[in-house]
Amino acid sequence: MALNGDDEDYEWEPPTEAEMKVIQARRERQDKISRLMGDYLLKGYKMLGDCCDACGTILLQDRQQKNYCVSCQEMDSDIDKDNPALNAQAALSQVRERQLAAQTPEVNDGPSSSSSTQASGSVPQPRPEHCEGAAAGGRTPLPPPAVPPPSAPVPATPLPSARPPAPPQSSVFSPVLQDAEEAVLTKLRWATAQLQSSASLEASIQLCSLISSCANSLRSLKELSQ
Amino acid sequence: MPPSERLPLEQVLEIVSALEAVVLRSFGPEGGQVLFTRDTGQAMLSRSGTCILSALHLEHPLARVVVESVWKHSRGTGDGSKTFILLLASLLRGISKATSRGPSASHAYGFTEAAKAAAAPYFANKLLELVSSDLDDLIAVNVVPYGFCVSLEDFTTHSGRLLLASFFHTRVSHVHCSYLSELTCEMLNRWKYKSDLPYISFQFLSDNFPALHTPVSGFPVSSSRLIEGQVIHRDFATPCLPSKQQPVKVVVFTDYMQPILLSTGDVLKLGYGGGVTPESSIVHFSAWTERSLESVIAELQSLGVSLLLSAVKQSDAAVALATQAHMSLVECVSEEELSLFVQLSGVTPVSRGCTIQLEHVAALSFCRPILLGGHRYVQVAFCESPKSSKVNPCSLVICGPGEGQTDQYICAIRDAVCMLMTTWEPKHTSETTASRGTLQSDKGTASLDMTPTFQSTANKPYGLKKCVFEPGCVIPAGGTFEFLLSRALPNPSSDTNGLPSVSQLLANALLSVPRQIYSHSPKLFLQAQTRIMSLVQNPSNPFSLGLKESTPGPMVDLGLESVTCKYQLILAVVQCATSVLRVDTVLHTRTALHTQSKKHTIFSRASTEDEAED
Repeated sequence: MALNGDDEDYEWEPPTEAEMKVIQARRERQDKISRLMGDYLLKGYKMLGDCCDACGTILLQDRQQKNYCVSCQEMDSDIDKDNPALNAQAALSQVRERQLAAQTPEVNDGPSSSSSTQASGSVPQPRPEHCEGAAAGGRTPLPPPAVPPPSAPVPATPLPSARPPAPPQSSVFSPVLQDAEEAVLTKLRWATAQLQSSASLEASIQLCSLISSCANSLRSLKELSQ
Repeated sequence: MPPSERLPLEQVLEIVSALEAVVLRSFGPEGGQVLFTRDTGQAMLSRSGTCILSALHLEHPLARVVVESVWKHSRGTGDGSKTFILLLASLLRGISKATSRGPSASHAYGFTEAAKAAAAPYFANKLLELVSSDLDDLIAVNVVPYGFCVSLEDFTTHSGRLLLASFFHTRVSHVHCSYLSELTCEMLNRWKYKSDLPYISFQFLSDNFPALHTPVSGFPVSSSRLIEGQVIHRDFATPCLPSKQQPVKVVVFTDYMQPILLSTGDVLKLGYGGGVTPESSIVHFSAWTERSLESVIAELQSLGVSLLLSAVKQSDAAVALATQAHMSLVECVSEEELSLFVQLSGVTPVSRGCTIQLEHVAALSFCRPILLGGHRYVQVAFCESPKSSKVNPCSLVICGPGEGQTDQYICAIRDAVCMLMTTWEPKHTSETTASRGTLQSDKGTASLDMTPTFQSTANKPYGLKKCVFEPGCVIPAGGTFEFLLSRALPNPSSDTNGLPSVSQLLANALLSVPRQIYSHSPKLFLQAQTRIMSLVQNPSNPFSLGLKESTPGPMVDLGLESVTCKYQLILAVVQCATSVLRVDTVLHTRTALHTQSKKHTIFSRASTEDEAED
């Protein structure tokens, strides 16, 4: 194992700022884990010789012989917070990023952009609490089966303002399903327009996935109405 | 669970960081105390890192290794167990950061891990080389000039008291610091050998400490005091007390006075050689034992003996005959107390089968019962004799509101004596490979004269150890040592590999100690650092850091600490880091390989039965 004289040594560059932030965040997380572990040790927990399978942290065992992993059970996971499917905050940040990316290249476009900007302008800036409430509380009358969370609250806001809200407790499904279909189709149209003008790869991928989930929802809505 | 696994550096760091988080809040003069309770209601109060770490339930083998190293270091020097963990953690963090900066950023995952795995032991070995060869010179040149040597005459006046006070500041609450340091100073003064090195008296005290102190719960700390002579922690077995007239003659028995008839497994052959005759029956044998006992008592009476100390429980007949002869008997005296008594009185114990002669009789100035707490003990005071004229024996009674606090004070005083012993260790080279036995079982000083040799009771657990500093070398506390040494370590611009040098690693790790001391106020850290650096750059007044009475300022409040203890601490930390980083694999076995460790006796003074925790 040569530690000196290798060519690869000279390729080492200092970490970029983003990497520094990641390193810093990781170090803080490790410090927090150590502090929690120290507290538990002082409370009488036993430090085992095994590691957690999921995250690799040392396992603790309480008086009732139950194993306990400090990082899995107490701290937010390092990577889960970046997954938009699991975390509303990550989803929101993704939406904002996309909007930011969409606005900059389209500022010089012609009428094709007006509809998209109109569409994006008519979309109110989603508020975190609204988003989380909608995602978790199910206040919207529309069931969002496989649609990612950013699309679910967005149609929810303009719809109640556009028409009087349909009674959610109605036993007749057809008007509800029609509304749902309409909303999904609107979203599909909007996504297609965005896709045509999209410049970033990541945004295109996201839009394609949005389109496919819209198609899925349409299919399930059609099945429901039959 | 896999049968064996590699031990990544991150896991080592996690374990040591967890241990650091445990002791961090008790660190320094501002630290807090930890209260441990058991389901039985037994409580242990402690600020000593060794006690806290030994009381944790740790099954991870690496954690045990680290705690074992801390314990060994603490037994050797008496101080610095929390600093040990702090230094170890920051050293490992530095090594981890250095290895992650290595040739790992742009390579395949497999090579990264292998490179990292090899880099850490490499750093550790280089560190070990550095501290084994250069550290003592660095300290002697760059740190010691800013401290001073405390001679024994100064010890009991200002400097010694300050040294003890700053030690007690980190162990007991600040309310009792000054009282305990005064008490300890007084005790050391009384045990001083006027013409000998202080090291010998400290060593004697340290070895015999269990026999020289009595814990008493239920009284305030200020009731602690010194009492004359020795306290034997047993009560009289006979109702009569020794006569008040001086001198009281005493004989020490290590065996039974009456030959015992039969014990388990013994076979008694009567009339051996001539067959069993009517004369050689068991009745005759027991009559013979009684006659021999009577002759022993008669002998003692003729010698004027009025006190008998016995290591074993004598038979009822012996007790009855002693009572009849107006002799007092104390039974089941512990081994340490008997050996101390024998040393102080100069008497030879009576062993099995020997006749009692004059050399077995010692004279005491008095012997009386003493009531300490809820127990009645025996207090003996020794006559002035040529051998023991140098010392004024005294025993320490330590009081505390509860058992937990009393134990805390006892541990603190015992560790203080150990720390003083380390500080005043004479400048010589002692080669030893065996560590000193536990305080309870050390028999190295069971000799009649009061000057035990150095080699027999050497206590360094790490092989060759050099005492390179003048005895009594101290330096102002509060991070001075760390600032000076971190500045003195060589700081090359870059290593050949682009990796940080090991001396840089050590310097950064050392600075974590004062950073933690001043953690409540980072401004003070910067102030202290600036002050010391300016003093270093301005060498016209090297003793301005010294604590003469006329020097006011914040440095006086910080107290003193021993240079030798710090040096040994750094050695021990680097050795522990090396041994920890050299571990390649952890093998999981089905059965427990370790036996009961003696560490657990700290918490179980009364309950020696239930030590098995894991």
